[in-house]
Amino acid sequence: MRFLKKSIWVFHLNSGSCNGCDIEVVDVLTPYFDAERFGVKLVASPRHADALLFTGPVTLESLPKVVNAVKAVPRPRIVVALGSCAVGGGIWHDTYSTIGGVKELLKILDKQGVVVDAVYYVPGCPVRPESIIHAIALIKGLVKKRVGREAS
Amino acid sequence: MARVKSRVLGFLRILGIAGRTGRVTRKYPYEPPLVTSDFRGKIEFDSEKCIGCGACVLVCPSNALEIMERGGRVVLRYFIGRCIFCWRCVDVCPVEAIRGTTGFELATDNPNDLYEEVVHDTVGCSECGRGFMTVKQKDYVLGKSSVVENYIDLDPGCRRRKFLEAIERRFGGGE
Repeated sequence: MRFLKKSIWVFHLNSGSCNGCDIEVVDVLTPYFDAERFGVKLVASPRHADALLFTGPVTLESLPKVVNAVKAVPRPRIVVALGSCAVGGGIWHDTYSTIGGVKELLKILDKQGVVVDAVYYVPGCPVRPESIIHAIALIKGLVKKRVGREAS
Repeated sequence: MARVKSRVLGFLRILGIAGRTGRVTRKYPYEPPLVTSDFRGKIEFDSEKCIGCGACVLVCPSNALEIMERGGRVVLRYFIGRCIFCWRCVDVCPVEAIRGTTGFELATDNPNDLYEEVVHDTVGCSECGRGFMTVKQKDYVLGKSSVVENYIDLDPGCRRRKFLEAIERRFGGGE
């Protein structure tokens, strides 16, 4: 996607995460890893963002707020699911109070007619800062995928 | 004026500190990552060694490893997107078929990339024909103990029924 070659402004959305992944998001923005090399900037409102850095397994309490935040991101919008919780529900995948990650969230968004143009999955518990940088580089087409059939 | 002067001086001092410290930023996608050999990353299966016993499935705290039957075969499925990289499966595997790696670059845009599968053929029960254990698991058990040879071909249901029938023959009863 061509728009992704430009600077990606991200909004960090926590949907009931344990704060492990959130700390790593902050870590990525420190001078040590410095995601601003790729033009990544943390913005304060989803209305300014190109991408959502999405952490947490989506608790039932946070679900309506998450849907509102996703709706507020202007098209084309992308969601970057960070951490095992966001990708597949993690150890909370079958608990009563979470819906189990982005996969279930996408179904709910689909029902409400909210389009998400691209979803990127970044497993890890918590994600390493380098994993997040790898994901950003993948979005911008700088590196190749390392998992799946197309890899290697 | 004095304020401007102190600001300029402060900036010059910071430049000095920055010059002494040098560059701290990692060049990461263009240089090797900062992982040590202790780092726990993605696990890898040796599908030749795996016997499909399901020990890893029992210990997996997040059910990232699941075992299921599909079309008469046993499938061991690994979903990286749920794995918490605790490596308990690596510790518990009786045949050391699971190897821990330091791989962490798992970002993808296709969720199907996050699934890995090991498929096993099953042995049918000699009485009812239902597949109940994998071929490799049978070989493994026979290699460990020769005592089980006379009932290894029976699935647990048939085994129980035969045992009860034997008791019935011995002690009578069972109207």
